[in-house]
Amino acid sequence: MAHTNRNFVIAYILLVGLPLVGLVGVLRSGRSLNAPFSVDGAWKINAGALQTSSAPCAAFLSSVSNSPVSISQSGTSLVIGLGGGKLTTGTLEGKTIKAQFAGAANPNATDCSDRSLTLTATLDPQTEPRTLSGRLSVEGCTSCAPVEFRAVKQPRPAGGTR
Amino acid sequence: MPNLFILVLQVAVVLFACRVTGALFKKIHQPRVVGEMFAGIMLGPSLLGWIAPNFSAYLFPASSLGFLNALSQIGVIVFMFLVGLKINPAELKKESHAAVLASHVSITAPFVLAAFLSLYLYPRLSDDHVAFSNFALFMGAAMSITAFPVLARILQERRMLSSRLGTVAIACAAVDDVTGWCILAYIVVLIRAAHSDASIWVTLGGIVVFGLVMVFGVQRLAKKVFLNAYEKWGHLSENRMAFMLLLVLVSALFTERLGIHLLFGAFLMGAIMPKEDKFVRYVLDRFETITVTLLLPLFFAFTGLRTNIGLVKGHEMWMYCGLIILVATAGKLGGSTVAAWMSGMPFREAAGLGILMNTRGLMELVILNIGLDIKIISPALFSMMVIMALVTTFMTTPVLNLVCPKEYLEGTGDKLGAERVSEPSVSLQETGVA
Repeated sequence: MAHTNRNFVIAYILLVGLPLVGLVGVLRSGRSLNAPFSVDGAWKINAGALQTSSAPCAAFLSSVSNSPVSISQSGTSLVIGLGGGKLTTGTLEGKTIKAQFAGAANPNATDCSDRSLTLTATLDPQTEPRTLSGRLSVEGCTSCAPVEFRAVKQPRPAGGTR
Repeated sequence: MPNLFILVLQVAVVLFACRVTGALFKKIHQPRVVGEMFAGIMLGPSLLGWIAPNFSAYLFPASSLGFLNALSQIGVIVFMFLVGLKINPAELKKESHAAVLASHVSITAPFVLAAFLSLYLYPRLSDDHVAFSNFALFMGAAMSITAFPVLARILQERRMLSSRLGTVAIACAAVDDVTGWCILAYIVVLIRAAHSDASIWVTLGGIVVFGLVMVFGVQRLAKKVFLNAYEKWGHLSENRMAFMLLLVLVSALFTERLGIHLLFGAFLMGAIMPKEDKFVRYVLDRFETITVTLLLPLFFAFTGLRTNIGLVKGHEMWMYCGLIILVATAGKLGGSTVAAWMSGMPFREAAGLGILMNTRGLMELVILNIGLDIKIISPALFSMMVIMALVTTFMTTPVLNLVCPKEYLEGTGDKLGAERVSEPSVSLQETGVA
């Protein structure tokens, strides 16, 4: 084998062959990694499980939680969309989703839709499709009872976009 | 039905923004495509949606994005056909040890580094519906891609196409793109097969049959119908041009139906077309103007609308973004430089090759959009990778000027392989495709 060819073969093994072996190792060791539970997609509120109260903001809460919930997920960071164009960021800690929807600048707002909302929900990853059980509450409204809801994850459209 | 007024308004705004920004970037010696990519991001939630949310919602209502996407995808299909058309397999066979080693290392180094980085990013930016192996392979493919057209444009602007560095860079970029697309096709098939009732073996069998029909059937047909007619009359009739476009679309439809992606079919159709220089230039001239000036800016805009730099917030997220840029650059630039240097290329020239190979441009955006579509990457990771594509493409020209100034390259007097570079490689870039 010519000198240059031998050098080429050595360089090829060092720079191409060995890294490929490393790649196989990485792919194997990565199997044991756990990523956050997937909550990305559209969620449909199970209206049958909706428990409205007779408190002042019940109608508002009911209308919000009757709309589909959309979640865009990047690891544990979430962008959550509710009915009425309400959009916020939230977090996923284990199986728990936490998010707060900002209200109007006036903290003494009388209109329920101007108040900030807090969403907490717990994921059940064992069911297929996955389900969320949670509650939606109005901040700064002492007489408002939170609305509890149950949501079912909707199947992703084939070839659809995120 | 689309709101035609809104759609035409969108096209007009995108066209204006891309031309103006492209021209401004040219003033700072950047390829026009970098400016157009930047314009797309400015039109999205990262800038326009942030400073003028109401106007943004009026101009780009969610209900209209499907039509904008459809138009832009037609542009990308034609673009991928043109990229495939420019790749000449015969040129690759003639390359030296330096090119073979540099091209293979410029794939494996960023690929393996990206896989290592995936060990860190997967638990932080992905979710349990994405398998680690798919995530890591996608990240590898996305980081190992090179923007073949924008690279050729930079070489042409610097009159380096006929230099040793130029020929090696072109060969490496072509190998990288073909390999990158093959890996991506594999990943897309795996993911789609997992969500499909059809067996993966049926899909793989279909791909093999399709490939054989393309290489042994359609390639001969293309030579007979297109090249022979061109050589006989010096031009192609409108019917033949329409037939060529039809073959591109049918090929794209086949690969989509097989579970790969529309773009693979378009790319393959371009790759099997006759490679006679004048013929290739003739076809490029016919297709590129409308694609480059009208349809690709729509793709930049659509990509920009999906890119939300606001998702990359907090020190942690920006650290991930910085790591992605660092690993992508170290793998591509570092890997290519070391390989070329070990193959006997002077260090500065080898570094020049590494810098050129680090250009990702539009090819990266195409791959990232596929990744987001099949949900293998999250929106925040998509935005980080778009930033990486912008940064690595933007840095190419100034860093190349620093490491390999024109005077240095002229001083080498190296014109090896001048005959290897076909003129059509230039044509696509003259109008700014990248």
